[in-house]
Amino acid sequence: MKKIVSLAVATLLMFLVFAISGCGSSATDETGQQAQQGEQKTGTLQFTANGEDFVRQGFVSKDGWAINFDHVYVNLSDVTAYQSEPPYDAHVGGEVIAQNKVSLPGIHTVDLAQGDENAAPILVGKAGDAVAGHYNAVSWKMTRAAEGPAKGYSLVVTGTAEKEGQTVSFTIKDEQEYHYTGGDYVGDERKGVLQEGGTADVEMTFHFDHIFGDADTPLEDELNTGAPGFEPFASLAQEGRVDVDMAALESMLAPADLEKLQDMLPTLGHVGEGHCHVEKF
Amino acid sequence: MINRIKLFVSILAVSLLVWPAAAFAHGVDINYQTKTAVEIEAKYDTGQPVSEGQVTVYAPDNPAKPWTTGKADENGRYIFTPDPAKPGTWDVQVRLAGHGGMVPVPVGVDSDVAAAGTGYTTMQIVLMSACVIWGLVGTALYFARRKN
Repeated sequence: MKKIVSLAVATLLMFLVFAISGCGSSATDETGQQAQQGEQKTGTLQFTANGEDFVRQGFVSKDGWAINFDHVYVNLSDVTAYQSEPPYDAHVGGEVIAQNKVSLPGIHTVDLAQGDENAAPILVGKAGDAVAGHYNAVSWKMTRAAEGPAKGYSLVVTGTAEKEGQTVSFTIKDEQEYHYTGGDYVGDERKGVLQEGGTADVEMTFHFDHIFGDADTPLEDELNTGAPGFEPFASLAQEGRVDVDMAALESMLAPADLEKLQDMLPTLGHVGEGHCHVEKF
Repeated sequence: MINRIKLFVSILAVSLLVWPAAAFAHGVDINYQTKTAVEIEAKYDTGQPVSEGQVTVYAPDNPAKPWTTGKADENGRYIFTPDPAKPGTWDVQVRLAGHGGMVPVPVGVDSDVAAAGTGYTTMQIVLMSACVIWGLVGTALYFARRKN
C-alpha cells in the first residue's frame, strides 16, 4: 500500500513539474504574437507613412526645378513593427530578432501628398492590442498594386515642376518591388514607445530628395551628387508633359542618369532620418 | 605653577586649533569619484564625420524622453557619462541635415549573465528542485529497503 501511495505521489509531482515548466515557455501564434499576450499590458500601435515636407510643401530640386506634388502613391504590404532585441541594425541587415511583433493585415495604397502643406503623416492602419514596450524596428514591402490609382506599380508620383517660366507636368511610375527593414526611429521626437493603454506611432518615411536632389543642400553633398535631379525627366517632356515608368526610362534616359535613378529609388524608405536595409524582389 | 601650566596648555591648545585653520584656509579640498564615460563617434557611410551633429541620449528607464542632448565635435565625437544607477541599454541618436542614426550602448549589464537566465520563475525552480530531491531520496530509500 505504501508503495502505491509513494508511486501516486511521485507521479503527481512529475505531472506538476511538467505543467509548471510548460507555463514558463511561450508559444507563438501565426501572427507572431506571443500566446501569453492576453496577460500582458497592451495599447494601440499606429502605423503611419510620411513623405515629409518635401512632398507636402514642395521643394526645389538640385537643378533648380520647383517641384510640387499632386499625388504620391505608395503601395504597402506586410507592414510589421518589432520590439527587437538586440536592436536591429539596418547597416548589417538580416532578419529582425524580436520579443514581440505586430503585423498590420492587408495591402494599403497610400497617398503621401494627401492633405495640406501642414498635414500630419498619413495613417495607414492601427493595431489595438499591441503588447506595450518599445517598437524599435519596422519592416514593410512596396509591391505592385493590384487595383486603385497605383495599379500595376509600387510607386506613382504625379505633380508639376517649374523653372524659368517653363512648366512640366509629370507622372513617374516604378514597377520594381522593394522590401524595407528599418531600426529605431530617428527624429525630433521618440516614436514607438507604447505604454499600457496608450497610443504610439511607428513611421515609414520616404525621402524624395534622394531622386530629385535638394537646392538647400550643397551641390557637392552626396545627396545631390547621387540624385538624378529633375532635368533628365524634363528633357523627355512633350508638350509640357512627361508620363513614364521604369521600363520606358530604361530606353529613354542617358545611361548615367538611369544608373543614378536605379541606385536612388531603393533608398527612398527610411524610419525618420534613419536608413533602412532594402532588398529588391 | 599649576596655573602657568594650565595657561601654557591652554595657549598651546588654542594655537593648535587656530594655526592649522589659518593654514588650511588656502588649501584645496579635492574629492573624486570614478565614473565610466561613453564616447560616440558618428560617421557617414562615406567615412566622413558627422561634424557638429545633434546628439540625443535616452536612458533605459525612460526611452521616450531625452536624458540629455548635446552636439558632437567637428570629428563627430561626443562623450557622456551615463548614470550607473540606470543599468540597461542607453540609446544615442546623432543627426545632421536630415540624416542620422541610433546606436544602443549597454551600460552596467552583464550580457552573459543576462543571456544565461533559465527562463523559470523562483517558484518553478523551488518546486522542480523539491521534486528532484524527492526522487533522489525515494531512490535511496528503495535500495536501502532491498538490502534490509
